Amino acid sequence: MAQAMDIDDVYLAGIMEVLPDAVVQYMLSSIRNARDVAICACVCQRWREAMVHVRSLYFPRTVCDEKINQSDAVVNRMVLSTSSLEELIVYCPFSGKSLLAWLSHTSKTLKHLELRMDNLGEKNPGPNCPSTLDYIASSPHLESLKLWGVSLKQLPAWNPFIKLHTLEVVGVRAQDTALYNMLLACPMLKNLALLGCDGAKVVDIELKHLEQCRLDFYGIGDCFLNITAPKLQVFEIQGAAWIRLRGDHSLRQLSIANNAGKVSKVECGRLSDLESLSMRGVQWSWDAIDTVLQSATEVKNLVMKIEFSGDTDRLLPFPEINLVDFFTSHPRLTNFEVHGAMFAALSQKNSLLRLDDSFSMPCLEEISITVRSPLNADQKMTTLESLVKHGRQLRRLTVRVSQMKNCQETADKFFEKVLRFKQRSHIVIIE
Amino acid sequence: MAELPNTTMANECKVKLKSKDDKIFEVEYAVAMQSQTLKNALAHTGCTDTALPLHDISSQILAKVIEYCEYHVNAANTISEKDVKTWDEELVKHMDQDTLFRLIVAAKYLEIHNLVDLMCKTIADRIKDKSVEELREIFHVQNDFTPEEEEQVRRETKWAHGE
Repeated sequence: MAQAMDIDDVYLAGIMEVLPDAVVQYMLSSIRNARDVAICACVCQRWREAMVHVRSLYFPRTVCDEKINQSDAVVNRMVLSTSSLEELIVYCPFSGKSLLAWLSHTSKTLKHLELRMDNLGEKNPGPNCPSTLDYIASSPHLESLKLWGVSLKQLPAWNPFIKLHTLEVVGVRAQDTALYNMLLACPMLKNLALLGCDGAKVVDIELKHLEQCRLDFYGIGDCFLNITAPKLQVFEIQGAAWIRLRGDHSLRQLSIANNAGKVSKVECGRLSDLESLSMRGVQWSWDAIDTVLQSATEVKNLVMKIEFSGDTDRLLPFPEINLVDFFTSHPRLTNFEVHGAMFAALSQKNSLLRLDDSFSMPCLEEISITVRSPLNADQKMTTLESLVKHGRQLRRLTVRVSQMKNCQETADKFFEKVLRFKQRSHIVIIE
Repeated sequence: MAELPNTTMANECKVKLKSKDDKIFEVEYAVAMQSQTLKNALAHTGCTDTALPLHDISSQILAKVIEYCEYHVNAANTISEKDVKTWDEELVKHMDQDTLFRLIVAAKYLEIHNLVDLMCKTIADRIKDKSVEELREIFHVQNDFTPEEEEQVRRETKWAHGE
C-alpha cells in the first residue's frame, strides 16, 4: 500500500495544496453547473487544470441575458476546453453550427445529452440543409437523450444510436413518418417518453427492448396507437382513441387516459401480470372498458375515473355492473379508487344480486369513492354498506361528496345518510 | 493461512486496523469489505490477528470512516434509501473543510466508493455559487496565476462573474 504525504506535518501550508492531484481532480470534476466550473477555473493553476476533466456541464437558461451568439460563445469555450465530457445539458439558446462543434469534440465520451431545442416556430431549413436535430448524429455513443421543444418537419438524418437506452422528448410537433423514423434510429430503447406530442395521427412503435413508455398526445384525443414491445413493464398513454398492444408482454403498470376525446377501442391481450391499472377520461366505449377490466384479473391497485360510456357521441352512463361478479373476477384488488359512473353502475337495481355471506373481498384494504350524483341514494347506501360488510380486510372507506352535482335538497339528504353511515362504522371517512 | 475466508469464517472474522497514531480499531469482516483496498489485502492474508497498518489515516478520521461503513452495512437491507440519504447528510452537515479533505483522502485510499462520492458531492455543494475569492479562502488556496494569466482567465469567464 503506497504512502501518501503526511498531512499533519504541513498543516500550515493549507490542506488543499497537499491533496494528491487525482483527488483534487476527482473532487472538482463532479461539479456540473457551468458557472461554478468557470469560477473554479479562475482559482488557481491546479484547479484550472482540474476543470478540463469535468464530467458534466449544465448551462441554465440565463447563461447570458443577451442574444444567441453570446451564449453560443460561452458554451463553445467551455465545452471545447474539456477532455472527457460525459454529460451536456444546454437550456440557453444555441445555434446548430455550435452544436455540431460541441458534439464532434465530445463524441468519444458523451453519454447524456439534454437540449432545449425550442424550434417549434423554426422555418423549414430546406430539403438539403441539415437541421439542428440532424447534428445530434455526431454523437454516436449517446446513452440518453432528452429534447425540449422539437419540430420534426423532415425525417431526422440519424444513424442508429445503438447505445441509446433512454429517449425523452417534451413538446414535439411531428408527423407520423417523422416520428416513426426517429424511433427506428433508436432500436435499443428501454425508456421512451413523448410528452406534449402534437400532430401525430397514427403512431406505430416497435421496440424489442422497451420497458417503460409514457406517451402524451396533445390535441383532440383521436390518435391511433399500435405498440409492439414484448418487454414492456410500465405503459402510460394519454390522448389516444384506439390502442393496440400487439403480441406478448408482461405489463405491470398500465394507465390509459383521454382528456379531450373518447377511448373507443383497446386491444391489450392478456394482462395477467398487471398490478396497477388506471383508466381515466370523459368517455370510453363500453367495449374498451370491458376489454381492459376482463383482462386485468390480477390487478391490485385500480383507479377508475371515467365519467361516461356510450358507443356514439352521446354521453351515456355505464350499464349495470354486478358487485359480486366484479369483485370475484378481481380477487387481488387491494386499493380501489372509483369515481361517479362506475360507482353508479355498482349501485343499480340488480347490482347486489347473489350477494350472500359466502362472498368476500379478501384483499381489499382501501377504497375511495367519489359520488357525483345524489340520485338513487338508497341503493348507493346499500352498496356502501355491503362493501364494509364483506370487506374483511377493509381498513378505510373514503366517500367524497364535495363535488356533487347540484340538486340541493336531494344532495343534502344523501349527505345526511352518509353521515349516519359514518357514525356506525369507524373506517369510513368523508371528504 | 493465505486462504480466502469462506462464509462461516467471514461471519466470525474480526479485522484489526491500526491508525497512524497507533490506535487499534476492530471491525466486523463485512464492514471492512466496504473498502476495496482492505478486501484485496485480506484476500492475500486471510483472516489474521495482526492489525493492518494504515500509515496515513489518523484515529479521528479512521473512526469516522468506520462509523460510515458500519452504518451502511447495517442499513443495506433494512433502512430506506431516503433515510440513509438523510443520515449521510447529517454526517457531513457541519463537517469542517479539513476533516472533509482528510476523509476524502482516506476514502480514496481505502477505495470506499460511495463515501468518496458523498465527499465529492458535499464539496461540490460548498463550491456552488461562490466567488473566486471566497473559494480561495475556504479552501486555503494561493493564487498562482501570473497577472497576465489571471486577466486572460477572468476575461474568458466574464459571464460567470456577474460583471
